[in-house]
Amino acid sequence: MKFKDYYEMLGLPRTATQDEIKQSYRKLARKYHPDVSKAPDAEDRFKELGEAYAVLKDPEKRAAYDQMGSEWKTGQDFQPPPDWGAGFEFNGSDAGMGTGSDHSDFFEALFGRHSRSRQQPHMQGQDHHAKVMIDLADAYRGTKRSISLRIPAYDDQGHITTQERKLEVSIPKGIRAGQHLRLSGQGGPGFGTGSAGDLFLEIAFNPDPQFRVDGRDVFMDLPLTPWEAALGTSITVMTPEGPVQLTIPPGSIAGRKLRLKGRGIPGAPHGDLYVVMTIALPPADSDQARDAYQAMAKAFDFNPREPRKG
Amino acid sequence: MSQNEMTFIQGVVVEEEVQLTFTELCRACNAEIDHVMTWVVEGVLTPIGESPQNWLFSGDSLRRARLAQRLSLDLEINPPGVALALDLLDEIAALRSRLRVPAST
Repeated sequence: MKFKDYYEMLGLPRTATQDEIKQSYRKLARKYHPDVSKAPDAEDRFKELGEAYAVLKDPEKRAAYDQMGSEWKTGQDFQPPPDWGAGFEFNGSDAGMGTGSDHSDFFEALFGRHSRSRQQPHMQGQDHHAKVMIDLADAYRGTKRSISLRIPAYDDQGHITTQERKLEVSIPKGIRAGQHLRLSGQGGPGFGTGSAGDLFLEIAFNPDPQFRVDGRDVFMDLPLTPWEAALGTSITVMTPEGPVQLTIPPGSIAGRKLRLKGRGIPGAPHGDLYVVMTIALPPADSDQARDAYQAMAKAFDFNPREPRKG
Repeated sequence: MSQNEMTFIQGVVVEEEVQLTFTELCRACNAEIDHVMTWVVEGVLTPIGESPQNWLFSGDSLRRARLAQRLSLDLEINPPGVALALDLLDEIAALRSRLRVPAST
């Protein structure tokens, strides 16, 4: 297990006051909140921050953490000292950090002794949430996913442990990023005669260099040569559904969209696929190429900085 | 302790096929009844039905309510602040899609 320097994570010296800790956490939490930030590592950063804050805001935990001394560095191999936590009493109140008790091994080893939450004799199980990444093409066809869930559970002594649970889920055609699938009865177990909770799967698309999605509509860029755009042509384009033969009309200009009706994400109604034309200029990197550009310069009476005539 | 089980499951798309009752929504986003009530007052969520007992929330409310719940817990934002943040996030999303840039950049 690796040591985590919670002060470093919050950008603070070990002498920071409780107010400074709160201030720094708030500021960084706003910056890295996964719902607000678009930084790719926002989610991990935010979890780290939450963990650091859960320890440092609590005077008992902070004192115990500080007792290990300031020699430790982030990433160093670490085992809790044998007398760890002697004389301190932690309660499980840090579990309310919103995004769940998904703490690091380091945190669990030091502070993971949650007290068992009070359970009512008959209670419906909790609803659980998980995120599933799929490709855009999966939304066109539907797909099946094997999902591993780590579910916190209490063992006989009331300690929190994680159980792994595997589910095979079929993801329907037409699903979009941001939508949720509800799997009834697949959440937390109920207590007594209470029924099990539901499992909600939030769908997200894997980043795609080629396609952009807006609702059910899908957009893609199609680079053309100047002569293809000017003279028109027929080309094969790879859409999320596979290759499509596309007619480029003569006189096409950059930025013009070709709409392929009903070839967006399926649904009621189907989305459309928009092919956005861009024009790529060949480099003038040989005598032949330069001659060709010279010939064009002679052939055209064309000044793009002047309004077009007639 | 770990346990493996293999199940094959078909889900329903919440945003398209589901309307949630007040209780269902509270449970689904693990929020307290009072909080959800305040979000309705602040206009974060707009259920149909006259009284809380008859309220029905559209499937999209799940996303909004969870977002509201995370913002208020993680950043300790009060309900009017949550309402403002959600409006601004919606606006950013709309502007991004007008730019046609992938949300990840």
